[in-house]
Amino acid sequence: MTKRIFHSICFVALTVFLASAALIMGVLYEYFTNVQQSQLKMQMNLAAHGIANEGKSFLDHFEVTDYRMTWISGDGTVLYDSVSDSEVMENHLEREEVKEALASGFGESRRYSKTLTQRSLYAAQRLPDGTILRLSISQHSIWVLLLGMIQPICMIFAAALILSIILAVRLSNKVVEPLNQINLNDPLSNEGYDELAPFLRRIDSQQRQLRIQENLLQQKQNELNTIIGSMNEGMILLNQKGKIISINPAARKLLDARVDCIGADMLSLCRNLFLQEILSDALKGEPGERTIELHGENYRVDANPIISEDLTKGVALFFFHVTEKEKAEQMRREFTANVSHELKTPLHSISGYAELLKNDVVKEEDRVPFAGKIYVEAQRMIRLVEDIISLSHLDEGAKDMRREMVDLYDLAERAVSSLEPEADAAHVTLALSGASVILKGIPQLLYSIIYNLCDNAIKYNRKSGRVKVSIQDEEGGIRLSVADTGIGILPEHRERIFERFYRVDKSRSKEVGGTGLGLSIVKHAAKIHHAEIEVESTVGEGTTIVVWFPEQRE
Amino acid sequence: MRLQFDEQLDVLNKELITMGALCENAIAMSAKALLEGRLELAESVPSLSVEIDHKEREIEAMCMKLLLQQQPVARDLRVISSALKMVTDMARIGDQSAEIAEIIMLANIHPTDDTRVIHDMSVAVIKMVTDSIDAFVKKDMEIARSVIDYDDVVDAFFNQVKAMLIALFSKPEADGEFAVDLLMIAKYFERIGDHAVNIAGWVLFSITGKKEG
Repeated sequence: MTKRIFHSICFVALTVFLASAALIMGVLYEYFTNVQQSQLKMQMNLAAHGIANEGKSFLDHFEVTDYRMTWISGDGTVLYDSVSDSEVMENHLEREEVKEALASGFGESRRYSKTLTQRSLYAAQRLPDGTILRLSISQHSIWVLLLGMIQPICMIFAAALILSIILAVRLSNKVVEPLNQINLNDPLSNEGYDELAPFLRRIDSQQRQLRIQENLLQQKQNELNTIIGSMNEGMILLNQKGKIISINPAARKLLDARVDCIGADMLSLCRNLFLQEILSDALKGEPGERTIELHGENYRVDANPIISEDLTKGVALFFFHVTEKEKAEQMRREFTANVSHELKTPLHSISGYAELLKNDVVKEEDRVPFAGKIYVEAQRMIRLVEDIISLSHLDEGAKDMRREMVDLYDLAERAVSSLEPEADAAHVTLALSGASVILKGIPQLLYSIIYNLCDNAIKYNRKSGRVKVSIQDEEGGIRLSVADTGIGILPEHRERIFERFYRVDKSRSKEVGGTGLGLSIVKHAAKIHHAEIEVESTVGEGTTIVVWFPEQRE
Repeated sequence: MRLQFDEQLDVLNKELITMGALCENAIAMSAKALLEGRLELAESVPSLSVEIDHKEREIEAMCMKLLLQQQPVARDLRVISSALKMVTDMARIGDQSAEIAEIIMLANIHPTDDTRVIHDMSVAVIKMVTDSIDAFVKKDMEIARSVIDYDDVVDAFFNQVKAMLIALFSKPEADGEFAVDLLMIAKYFERIGDHAVNIAGWVLFSITGKKEG
């Protein structure tokens, strides 16, 4: 800014200066020339008179000062010259002023000398005797004059320069000052140049837009951070060189990483070779997953390349905790294996007996017992399949079963009466006590809870033992308890008896019968009713299983 | 130029960590095979050891190239020279893990045998190896020093194994093959511990420039 203003001022000053100098020089030079010319004319007259009166002697007495005087004869021969020797001078007839003087009596001319540094003014007059007198005066040319003035001109130049600098600085400062003082944070509050108002308004609106976008961005970022931060799964973002760009708290905890691990290599956090393998594959653009072990727990790691414009820009790593899932998987596998085993056993018996009957190798009196055995085994299989069906039904949450108001005591009565034959066969007395209570629930499931508990209580009882079923409406809920006087359960088995196919005494399963699924069904059915199960047991004395239905809030 | 050098150093660092991870894996596999009696695990250890040896050659070549081409000084020189020394120790750990695996494959040691001391010893040695690699990864002098101190624990375990075996020999029904194999395994573990100490020492050297331990 300052520079430009300086240039302009300088340019203007120098132009004006040069123009005026040229003008003055041109005009004045011409004026002085004219003055000199008229002086020359006057001198000329005087000299002409002198010569006319005194002849050649005038010339001899003539004191030559500034003027050069030449006397030329009518044929152009130089008769006298005040500067040079007249003898050697050439014929002057062709000179402009002489020609003019010969023709009109008086002539004038101006000529530059050979060097151009001097100019001569000439005046010639024809004397009455036909000779011509010429006077000349030399004059410095305009360039020499200018050269003589070089010092003052330079000084003026310098002064103009200095002045322009000072002015330029001051002016530009003055111009720029309001611009410098603009408060861009609040553009509309500024006074200054009106010309700037549109810019300021534009800046203001853009700033507002920027703020809105910034807020939005921040909000989005916060949302994302919150989501990633509160994720249970570990998440790590890596750049294309395998350096960590971002790591969420779950992953940091999982890998024992320090907060300053951003920018570190993934290898420095986890040296697991499987992880390295899928990571290097992912960096080549191949997604992969592996289950790896960290701190004794299993994690499934997903490595997904982040690809944009056909180039792998980075990798996203996810860590999923799968120990629980794998346990569940294992339980399911075990269950399947158990089910097939349990189904196979009775089938083998049935098939064996049936084969004997088919081949007609059975004695007549054994046929009925054989058929009876086939029947018993088939019954066992039916029970097993029914149990499995109801269990898988319960697994799905028994969604299609309708809840209704039922009398628990009624259900218990039905269960007890249907188990009466078995109890008699095992020489166990079955007793029901309590009063009727109304409960909202699924009747089939409540029935199977009571039935299975009583069934177990009878099966694992001693001879002439007792089973007491009681239903009580207590404060806060309903209490169903089934107490027996049986063999009891050791503490280490108490948790596990609700597992599918779990048997405390594996060797007795065949003899006792049952499917091994009864208590599992009880557990699930109770869960659907939000009931809690408690097991109290003393080995050799008996077991009491209490199912507590908390009061339902509608 | 410097940028390229830094990148090369970074690659060297990564390769060293990978080699360390391979060593950890080798010794962990051997120990698992020994303690759980899973011989199939031991079978994979010799191939791991071969892989570790390849890595050693690779890293050595890389270090040589860096020394010749970049002519490092001061800290960089220490890092590269200690890397050269460290790979030797790591390769030895791999070799000795393979030796242990080979002894296990002779199947003279049964899971039912009393291997409690050797179990504790293997845990201690694995910890030493892991910590020495950790010290390298994190450039942590504290961990490196703890590894050097921990060697006494492993030495004590070795003496315990020795004492146990001497007691075993004094019985008439002593199983000689079991005892000799166990002694050799214990000795290899003890050597692996020494190599871990060396690695920790080189980690300290690369940081401080002074050789400790």
